[in-house]
Amino acid sequence: MSSNWSSEIRAILWKEFAGELRSRTGIVTGGLFSFATIVTVATALYNKDANQSELRDVCASQIWTIILFAAILTLPRTFLAEEDQGTSDLLRLTARPHAIFWGKAIFNLIQIAVLCAIVAVLYVGLTGLRVPHVLLFAGTLLAGGAAITGVVTSCGAIASRAANRTLLAGAISLPLVIGPCQWGVTGLRSAMGGGFPQDGWMAVVGLSAYALLTLIVAPWIYATIWKG
Amino acid sequence: MVSVRNVGKRFGGRWILRGLEFDLAAGQSLVVLGKNGSGKSTLLKLLASLLPPSEGEVRYAFPSLRTDIGYASVDLALYPQLTAREHLSFCGRVRGCSDRADELLDFVGLAHAKTTAASQLSSGMKARLKLAIALQPKPKLLLLDEPGATLDAEGRELIGRVTESQLQAGCLVIATNEPQERSHATHELQLVI
Repeated sequence: MSSNWSSEIRAILWKEFAGELRSRTGIVTGGLFSFATIVTVATALYNKDANQSELRDVCASQIWTIILFAAILTLPRTFLAEEDQGTSDLLRLTARPHAIFWGKAIFNLIQIAVLCAIVAVLYVGLTGLRVPHVLLFAGTLLAGGAAITGVVTSCGAIASRAANRTLLAGAISLPLVIGPCQWGVTGLRSAMGGGFPQDGWMAVVGLSAYALLTLIVAPWIYATIWKG
Repeated sequence: MVSVRNVGKRFGGRWILRGLEFDLAAGQSLVVLGKNGSGKSTLLKLLASLLPPSEGEVRYAFPSLRTDIGYASVDLALYPQLTAREHLSFCGRVRGCSDRADELLDFVGLAHAKTTAASQLSSGMKARLKLAIALQPKPKLLLLDEPGATLDAEGRELIGRVTESQLQAGCLVIATNEPQERSHATHELQLVI
């Protein structure tokens, strides 16, 4: 009987995709929230030039606010739903905690990448924002999305066995995502021509490091909680 | 195969189980009896490593709990969106063993429901699927918590066949108050509140 990590992680990833594609809970929750917010912002900015420096800064922070709240609504569910629907025992009987964490984290990274792409395209398209540094814009969204995923997924995993897990996951995530959001705003502002590109790229490096750190530390914490 | 040493379990300030000691060797089966709330399900969860003991320890004579323990219980939930076949395929992949999906679904009488989502299965069919998942890795220790609770007469016969074949492969613990299921025991453990 042989087992390897990649096969286990792929099995967890497959289960997450199958569950999400059939229930569409995350897509509907995060998607509707993002769409409604962007349409509201676009309506408020109708006939205004979003490329004025003050408005551009507000737009950069709005993009991150939308991504952050959509992420907090959808990503921790991958862990919390296991406890809510009572399937965590089945996982505990069959899978190893590191494989579970990584399967779910990869699923969340794919979800946030799709979410960031949709939010960015809709926001820029509907508000008429100009993005002179497209690569920096995409890099900031990807690295920032990964950092938010790292934090939110980790907090979901850590809070998964608590009685008031949904509230707890949100409460411990919020202070930890303030830093990445600040870097994210710096990166997007620079990408939209509101600062030096070097500052933007520094923010991308910071976001990437933050994502890496959370995703390396969290599986070990999760495994400890799992055993308890 | 399993050695239970001075095991106790406490929830909050209340001891559910205390001072449990027994050994179970291959070919032996233990039936755990007791009123509702006496700790039968808790004991099986401790043996399955789903709960850590508050005191004492459970030792196993096999290396991998994921592939050497099979556990089926009314409490165990299934993924509502996955089909019966997908459950076995998924569990096989994470356990690193062959999924034996067709063979097991035929054995437990779910051949006609392979592509039915778990949310569409009756409680008896869910119990059969959980039994198939428990049997999948050919476990050395099989734990069945009230296995006949939601099963019809045919299903109870199936439990009889499973318990007989398990005694050839390893050992068995059943939590039950059903006289028919008691008949398979080589040992009995009565829990009192």
